[in-house]
Amino acid sequence: MSFLWHELRLAVPMIVHGNPYLLSIIWFTVQVAGIATAAATAIGLPIGVALGLGRFRGRRVLIWLANAGLALPPVLVGLILFLLFVPQGPLGGLRLELTRQGVFVAQAVLALPFVAALSAAAIMGLPAGLLAQARAFGAGPVALAALAVREARIGVIAAVIAALATTLSEVGAILIVGGNVYGYDQTLASAALYEVDAASFADALAIGIVLVALIVVLLGGLSLLQERGGGIRWRFRPLS
Amino acid sequence: MSYLWEQLRAAVPLIWQGNGYIWGVTWVTIRVAAISTTCALVLGLPLGLGLGLGHFRGRRALQLLANASLALPPVLVGLFVLLLLLPPSLLGGLRIEFTLTGVYVAQTLLALPYVVALTPAALRALPPGLLDQARAFGAGRVAVALLALREARIGVLAAVIAALASTLSEVAAVIIVGANVENHDQTLASAIVSQLNDFDNIPYALAIGVILLTLILALIGALTAIQQRGRGFALRVPAR
Repeated sequence: MSFLWHELRLAVPMIVHGNPYLLSIIWFTVQVAGIATAAATAIGLPIGVALGLGRFRGRRVLIWLANAGLALPPVLVGLILFLLFVPQGPLGGLRLELTRQGVFVAQAVLALPFVAALSAAAIMGLPAGLLAQARAFGAGPVALAALAVREARIGVIAAVIAALATTLSEVGAILIVGGNVYGYDQTLASAALYEVDAASFADALAIGIVLVALIVVLLGGLSLLQERGGGIRWRFRPLS
Repeated sequence: MSYLWEQLRAAVPLIWQGNGYIWGVTWVTIRVAAISTTCALVLGLPLGLGLGLGHFRGRRALQLLANASLALPPVLVGLFVLLLLLPPSLLGGLRIEFTLTGVYVAQTLLALPYVVALTPAALRALPPGLLDQARAFGAGRVAVALLALREARIGVLAAVIAALASTLSEVAAVIIVGANVENHDQTLASAIVSQLNDFDNIPYALAIGVILLTLILALIGALTAIQQRGRGFALRVPAR
């Protein structure tokens, strides 16, 4: 036990005194989480709403695909993006390989199935009569979608929480697409891996403690919003 | 596109003609998935049943803890396991750091939260009268637990699927605890990461990726098929 204790005692001052290396990783991790989750939500929520509400051919196949995307290993997502981003690859001209922008894209792609599949599931769980009634009263597609998202907000926020958790804790895609470059495009999770490889256990522990704190704060905050969301009244424009 | 095509053409023979290295990695992955999922079930099902069926102080706090452990980054699980297994530490005497046995332990711990947290959720969804009725008819604890497991089998299988998927696709704990040693304790997912360090090995990474995807689709597809049939078939329960 004294070994763990010893490493922990070395880790604490690094956090308390605000090591600049640590601060830069924290800032980059917050950027990754914010940008990737926002992008995944902006793209995934319309897809989720369409899958949940739509009546079109191939809807079931698309739902199955979104669900399968949840089980896709991050390393495979990383492999596919890597092949697209290498200089000779189809998207090589974008120069995303081994860059911060590449990490944003990788984590957004990883988070996308969570938003799309889980918000679709939340919307499909709404009472059938509710949406039929809105349709009968003449609600257009946009009003219907807004109503569905509002009513399914607890499930939709759960989808965003899952997406955010993925962007914070997954390393497989970052290792491959970003290259885990020291001092440049490391997130807290991939930096912890890097420090363990270098046998700098105290640094890894310090990074790990900060990562847990960040996850608790961000996910806890969203969970509180979700609980309160049961009561909050969002403004809603009258239908027609 | 021709570049991607070229790489894919180079990958196909590696899969068809059977490459010793790739088969070795596949076999290790199957063993890790089977052993770790089984251990997680053996340890986790009793805990999940206790949380789902028990009436004791602190049950809600424990459930909250189990749910929170689902959001724990694999990197941190790997870090703690490694710190416990290193020679100067608590379990250092076992000498299983950087071995396949260490990888089994790490992947079991990663899969455990899925079983422990998702089983009670499945049990909670059972009609409330069902278990009370069984208790009223004099069923003992073991009989009630078996009945609950049988009735909640769809949710329990979902937990097994999630646990299995995590043992197949996570890399962080494998890299940290097993050190990702070629021909020893590499899994398919972690082998992709190490193969992509060298541009010449892209066909290997692609071949491994195809095998990993096939394995995941086959195993999860089979379990999902059992789950869906499970709605219909009745397991035998011993007569009381």
